[in-house]
Amino acid sequence: MHHLVRCTGLRAAGSLNASRRSAEFSTASIARSQKESILDIEKLLSRPTWSVSSLLPPKDSASDAPEVTSKQLHHLLRLSALPPPKDQQEEAKMLSTLSSQLHFVKEIQKVDTAGIEPLRSLRDETMQGEKEAELGMEAMKDALAQEEVRGKHHKRIRRRRDHTAAKQEEDWDVLGTAQRKVGRYFVVEGGKDK
Amino acid sequence: MSSKIRRCAPATLSLFSNTSARTPRACIVSQWLRSRGLTTVDSTPSQSVPLRKHLKDEAKRKKAEAKGSHNDIKAKTNPHSDEWKLTVGVEIHTELNTACKLFSTAPATAADSNGLPNTRVALFDAALPGTQPQFQRATLLPALRAAIALGCDVQRKSGWDRKHYFHWDQPNGYQITQYYEPFAKNGSIVLSAEDGVSKTDLSGTQSISIGIKQIQMEQDTAKTTHYAPSSYHVDLNRAGHPLIEIITLPQIHSPQTAAAVVRKIQAQLKSVDACVTGMELGGLRADVNVSVRPRGSSGNYSYGGVSGLGQRTEIKNLSSFAAIENAIMAERDRQIDVLEAGGVIEGETRGWTLGATETTRLRGKEGEVDYRYMPDADLPPLIIGSDLVDHLRSTLPELPDATVLRAQQDYGLSAKDAKTIATLDDGERLDFMEETVELVLDNLGDDQADKTKIGKLVGNWVLHELGGLLATSNIAWADVTVSETELADIITNVQLKRITSRTAKQLLATLHELPPDESRPSVEQLIDDGSLRLRPLSGEGYTALAEDIIAENPEMAKAVKDKGQKGKVMWFVGQMVRKGHEGTVEPEKAREVVERLLGS
Repeated sequence: MHHLVRCTGLRAAGSLNASRRSAEFSTASIARSQKESILDIEKLLSRPTWSVSSLLPPKDSASDAPEVTSKQLHHLLRLSALPPPKDQQEEAKMLSTLSSQLHFVKEIQKVDTAGIEPLRSLRDETMQGEKEAELGMEAMKDALAQEEVRGKHHKRIRRRRDHTAAKQEEDWDVLGTAQRKVGRYFVVEGGKDK
Repeated sequence: MSSKIRRCAPATLSLFSNTSARTPRACIVSQWLRSRGLTTVDSTPSQSVPLRKHLKDEAKRKKAEAKGSHNDIKAKTNPHSDEWKLTVGVEIHTELNTACKLFSTAPATAADSNGLPNTRVALFDAALPGTQPQFQRATLLPALRAAIALGCDVQRKSGWDRKHYFHWDQPNGYQITQYYEPFAKNGSIVLSAEDGVSKTDLSGTQSISIGIKQIQMEQDTAKTTHYAPSSYHVDLNRAGHPLIEIITLPQIHSPQTAAAVVRKIQAQLKSVDACVTGMELGGLRADVNVSVRPRGSSGNYSYGGVSGLGQRTEIKNLSSFAAIENAIMAERDRQIDVLEAGGVIEGETRGWTLGATETTRLRGKEGEVDYRYMPDADLPPLIIGSDLVDHLRSTLPELPDATVLRAQQDYGLSAKDAKTIATLDDGERLDFMEETVELVLDNLGDDQADKTKIGKLVGNWVLHELGGLLATSNIAWADVTVSETELADIITNVQLKRITSRTAKQLLATLHELPPDESRPSVEQLIDDGSLRLRPLSGEGYTALAEDIIAENPEMAKAVKDKGQKGKVMWFVGQMVRKGHEGTVEPEKAREVVERLLGS
């Protein structure tokens, strides 16, 4: 799970696709298209050159992904706030699914991402864009205006508390979506103590 | 409305959605989460140590040390603890003093304020589907001042990450923090014996420096209250409050020093207005990590770049200085016991409750991987301009050490008085004293007065005379009616020997009772109206008065004359001051006369 998170970066995935394409699609089909003067598009599209299933373990053989223990499975379910399996059968199914997913992850991890910064989101990453996003004196003008210096000799900066920062008390019914409430509190049912 | 609504797929369910697709069930993670000691607080008011008591304890400790008894008096529970080296690192969480929450414009009012629950909640704070975080830039002011005060390098670019866990104190299912790229790194804080550092940690030097690894901003959680057997009430007012987490390097080697570090960091944060309330009001909490290893040997573990340490454990959620000290002592002794019995310390998280003698295991610590940290794609990186950092650095308010030093050097206060006056009433008391000193010096004319002499005098009046009146009348500093001018006039009159100091104290008490309106008389008026001006007795007058009193008290006179009980001279002086007309007898002169007459 951890590794999955680490290589979530779209760039890594993108570079995988690119390398696959150049390896299988371009070399094979473009070479062919040079031989035959007319590209047979129909034929080209009739059979995929690559499938995601190549990253999954073969159906008949066991995955070579590390085995997940029952204890680890339950731990992961807890972390994800998912209910535990009903019975042995369901647990076995979960473990098998997880195992093939891990196989997939291992395949993804084979991509060399050294030196590639993960893409977190699409933003203006130019110098200009960064400069515009920078929080400097100008951006803090209003916030600084909400402060005062107290004391004539022993000078102290204090934020003015009387000021209400925004339009406040947003006009919506916070508890309106609550399934259970007591007074102005949400109520949740937890496990029994000990 | 603070948070932008994303036009987004409707299928996402929030924790509090009333959609029938989600039927209520007892939360299967609750037990486990509770074992993590995450947030649910059956809040017991934390115990604070008032400053005066702290000073007293420090004095006691010093005395004990001077006597040659070992430091850490109460810490010596394990007979072999000297053979083990203790190492401690601290993580401090404190609420930033700012108007809004970290990512919404809902107000971030102090934890102790008595508002209705679930009223200061923006859509984003309740994790309604489609809402997005908006970094509230004003948060930067207290956060940056904290970083600067603690000597950190402010990072031009830092980022936001999600720390995932499911719990009802966290509507989003994750907390936004700065895990991979914190906004401030590599600071330090210097402590001396005055700050309560133990002698062993100082090892002969004047002061020690404890490294600050990093400071990060993050969201606070909702407040949950447990109702037996299994219900929890959730108030989202606190959810999303801006916090900073300050992480020190493991460079602390005694429980006492650990508490001193937290105390000093808190004082620094307060002085730059970075935090709302201190530990005593729940505005500051600490986690400590503790390890031991045999003295002179090197362990196999390394934390924050400090290597050669033993396996550490972490104790969470300590909310008072005493708890920090006691929890570390207890954990140190437990680890030594385990190791001496041939056991192994497990890396785990432990808890401590006030008054306990041992820490208790909360959960094993397999690593932070369980939190599945990942960058938050909803938030752009935080880019801080150097002009802002420079401005805040150059206008940073005076830090507590400098204030205390100034009160000592410029105004001649004792270390204890300087520390006290600097801490009282958010610095107002010190400013009052400084203004009074300036006025007295003006009244007296510069050349004849020594600033430290007058400073010490005024300090006494402000701390002890006025302070005494405050205590007996149970009035807060903010409601004091005596002005700097009035106190300066009173003190000037004493200095010029126009009134006795007894009269002066009465004047102060009188003014303290009067309301601050137009009817308020000036000091001069009060002196004139009460005929309080010192009318010096003639030499004969003094002699006659003394002779009368000696004649009335032959036994006492004999005691002085024949038995040489010089202490009784002052009794006669007291009698003379009392018997003489108000404001006529000066004790020094009276003493001379009594001593002459009784030949002592």
